[in-house]
Amino acid sequence: MKRIVTLLVMMTLLASTLAGCKGDEGAEKTGNATDSTKAKSESLLFWHTYSDAEEQVFLEQVMPQFEELYPNVDVEVVRMPYDGLKQQLITSIAGGVAPDVMRMDIIWVPEFANMGALEKVSDKNGFEAIKNNVFEGPLNTTFYQGEYYGLPLNTNTKIAIYNKQLLDSISAEAPTTFDELIDLSRQLKGQDDVWGIGLSGTHAWGMPPYFWSLGGRITNDDYSKASGFINSPESVSALETIVALNDEGLIGPCILGEEPGTWGGMEANNYLMIDDGPWYFSMQREAGIEDLVVPELFPAGSAGSHSIIGGEDVVMFSSSKAKDAAWNFMSFLLSEETQVTMGGTGLIPALKSAANNEAFSNDPINSIYVKQLETAYPRTPHYKWEKISEEFQLTFEMAIRKEGEPQVLLDELAVRLDSILSE
Amino acid sequence: MDTNLLQNRIKKGIKEWLEVLPYIAIGLILVFVFVFYPLFKNFYISVTEYTIIPGAESPFVGIENYKQIFNDDKFYYAFRNSVLMVLVTVPTQIIFGVVLAYIIDNARKGKTFFKTAYYIPVITSWIVVSYIFKYIFAGGKGGFMNYILMNLHIISEPIGWFQNTWTALAVTWILSIWKGIGWCMIIYIAGLQGIPKMLYESAALDGASEYQKFRFITIPQLAPITFFILINLTIGAFNSFIQTYILTNGAPMNTTHVMMSLMYARAFQNFEFGIASAMGVLQGAVILCIIIFQKWVIKKSER
Amino acid sequence: MRDIKKIILYGVLCAGLLVTFTPFLYMITTSLTKDTYALPYPPNVLPNQFYYQNYIEVWQSNNFNRYFLNSFFVAITTMICNVFISSLTAYGFAKFKFPLKEFIFKCFIISMMVPGILNIIPQFTVIQSLGLVDTYTGLIILYVGSGIAGSTFFLRGFFEGIPKELEESVTIDGGSRWTIFHKIVLPLAAPSIGTFSIFAFSGAWDEFFAALTIIKTEAKRTLPIALRMFEGKHASDYGLIFAASIIAVTPIILVFIIFQKQLVRGGISEGSIKG
Repeated sequence: MKRIVTLLVMMTLLASTLAGCKGDEGAEKTGNATDSTKAKSESLLFWHTYSDAEEQVFLEQVMPQFEELYPNVDVEVVRMPYDGLKQQLITSIAGGVAPDVMRMDIIWVPEFANMGALEKVSDKNGFEAIKNNVFEGPLNTTFYQGEYYGLPLNTNTKIAIYNKQLLDSISAEAPTTFDELIDLSRQLKGQDDVWGIGLSGTHAWGMPPYFWSLGGRITNDDYSKASGFINSPESVSALETIVALNDEGLIGPCILGEEPGTWGGMEANNYLMIDDGPWYFSMQREAGIEDLVVPELFPAGSAGSHSIIGGEDVVMFSSSKAKDAAWNFMSFLLSEETQVTMGGTGLIPALKSAANNEAFSNDPINSIYVKQLETAYPRTPHYKWEKISEEFQLTFEMAIRKEGEPQVLLDELAVRLDSILSE
Repeated sequence: MDTNLLQNRIKKGIKEWLEVLPYIAIGLILVFVFVFYPLFKNFYISVTEYTIIPGAESPFVGIENYKQIFNDDKFYYAFRNSVLMVLVTVPTQIIFGVVLAYIIDNARKGKTFFKTAYYIPVITSWIVVSYIFKYIFAGGKGGFMNYILMNLHIISEPIGWFQNTWTALAVTWILSIWKGIGWCMIIYIAGLQGIPKMLYESAALDGASEYQKFRFITIPQLAPITFFILINLTIGAFNSFIQTYILTNGAPMNTTHVMMSLMYARAFQNFEFGIASAMGVLQGAVILCIIIFQKWVIKKSER
Repeated sequence: MRDIKKIILYGVLCAGLLVTFTPFLYMITTSLTKDTYALPYPPNVLPNQFYYQNYIEVWQSNNFNRYFLNSFFVAITTMICNVFISSLTAYGFAKFKFPLKEFIFKCFIISMMVPGILNIIPQFTVIQSLGLVDTYTGLIILYVGSGIAGSTFFLRGFFEGIPKELEESVTIDGGSRWTIFHKIVLPLAAPSIGTFSIFAFSGAWDEFFAALTIIKTEAKRTLPIALRMFEGKHASDYGLIFAASIIAVTPIILVFIIFQKQLVRGGISEGSIKG
């Protein structure tokens, strides 16, 4: 017993010295920074979920500029894991120590605004100018009950990504319409473990591009009513088409979360087409992904080519004690220079001038994403989005699993969505 | 006279407390602050429409949240699955655990080795083992389990393990059992070592067989430990979370949620803190009833 | 007859080992395989290549090595504090008589039954009001505090099993309660304390939600956070994820093997009662 205790004490001391040394290094660094600029009057805590590559650009190119512009503002930049992020945020809000500024998924903004956790920015200095220069779709994701609760930071959408080797095997070009896609999928059907369409799931991020392009609608234009839209004849026929394609074996097992997944299926030549956002390319650039796949606009169905809008907004929390500094920081993130710099990592700028800047738009892949955005639809911006998305997925999963007729299922969904939307 | 007695008793009580306080003071304070206080708060949240913003009002709603629980199909699935988790995994772990412990305790060589080896799943992180199992039970013919079963000609078509409610639940059970056996084993070994050797020696003199010794000495002697294990496993199985969260998260069609994963979703995805807390209180009450029942059964069987 | 029985018993033990270890082998094999977005077909249990690049990539990314040390410090300190406080508390409940003892102990047990999924919010408010957010002290207090009820429950049974005769011998020699505690109870309960130490260590080592909530500075984060970040980022590159997992799991196994030696020494033997 004594030997163990001694051993443990030694191990602890060792670990703490090591941890301590490292900690000291860090402290010295920040200490120096403080010395050089003397009085830092305000400090900001900024949470984000940038990827490795994005974070590197952000820390090395964007932040130094901000520090130069506002030497008296000290920004602590903290990268959060996406998993469990909502719980982290809620706990921090409950403890009164939410970050000052956060880069947050667009779909979360109405929820947190409804909770009263976000500061409205509609009346901030210079808001109007920014408002007029950003894309309208992304901007609307910050709109809640007549006020704006943040700024759109970067946007994204999903495009179609085709497998070059499979296309070559039937000597075809990347299709641009749904009919062509179905046709090619049928040609490939004879091969073992090859499917035409790698649809990523029945959830409300995977299904809508197919559903919308084939003519489906979820709600009316002001998102207040689902009846007559989600269960309209066009919507029913869109869902029936997807179910029929799945029954025919043209859609891969990933639609129900099975292996091969979309990325693995693309790598192993299981799927002719998958759909995904710009991160598909930025994360696999080193692996030479651009030589293996062909990016193309989402195939056009009876209603055209309609993908889904994703992205992040930058928001300020109402508990922030440095609201002016926070607003300056937010505005800085929306400057053309910052937006172009971050655009270099594949993040599509929310600022129009930055998206049209040649440094960004000359990239062939970026340009497809920007073009796709013109016809992309947002998810239903509502503070009960999680519920809507749950109901949506349940219905579509049941349809794919043949647990009910599309018409019946969508009629039931319409009733449930109506009651959520009217809350 | 009576008051004197009472006074004496109080005096004695205070004296006893003062004696024990140096030992339990820190523990008690910590438990009150980090366990009992959150528990009461939890109960309070369950009868309000809770708002997390500091200083904001949380109106009292009585049993409204408790009523809400039952208006949800998912709850019935989650409740069923949690009960099944207990019924399937607890007895299996206990049986395997006690048998393993007995074999290892009686082995001449390699005791340490087997003990260590069987215990490794227990100390491995839940997150990590859940990922391993997700991978092993991947669908399609490339999935490890499918590949083995197909090569053994047990199945002819690959199984989509997580596509079917019952196979998905089975995987969470298999994982829980696989990870839990070692824990039962190690506790039982500690218990076996506490059984006086005398008992076995005198039984051997009476010509008892190995089985009889196991049945009539080992098992009754292990009863208190079994009760300890039973309580812990029941609570553990009811509170199982990560395996469901990572392996299925309710799929397919919300039929594989357990109470905890549903509570987590209610609280931190839908912000329905009141309902989540009410579910927690309800679950606590159910576990309490089960344990009282278990205790009663064990007491009865001992008589 | 003896031999056959022996062979059967060892056969059972080895078959069990196979079941226990196949998942780990599969994990190790995958971690040594290049490009694992897609499931390799046919699957391999034993490594057929030695692509250690995954490990290098993991270790060098995102301060993984720093998080590793942080976790080590937190887990060891939690373990020591937890063992110390729990055995004191358990001793109080096992060997003392005082009013309301059983009632308080029942409350301990009941508290273990109500799921603590929402507890993190009130616990965080407490840590915050103590001014301990973003400190290891806060995190460790939280770990120890939320574990005390369970660990007292665990240890009390073992302490009660220590025969009265032994204590009496100390009392006759004029020893105090404290002497009994550290001369008799602690050494005799060493196996159960050892077992419990491992629970305490691995519990703190694996914990994710509280660590992320309490610790705000990136440089102070612990390993499970790094692991989750890794999983989030590398979507389904299982080779990398498993390489990271193996690095994360190894120390627990090592600590366990170190303590294992103590566990073997056995429980309370008859000898100690007679002597």
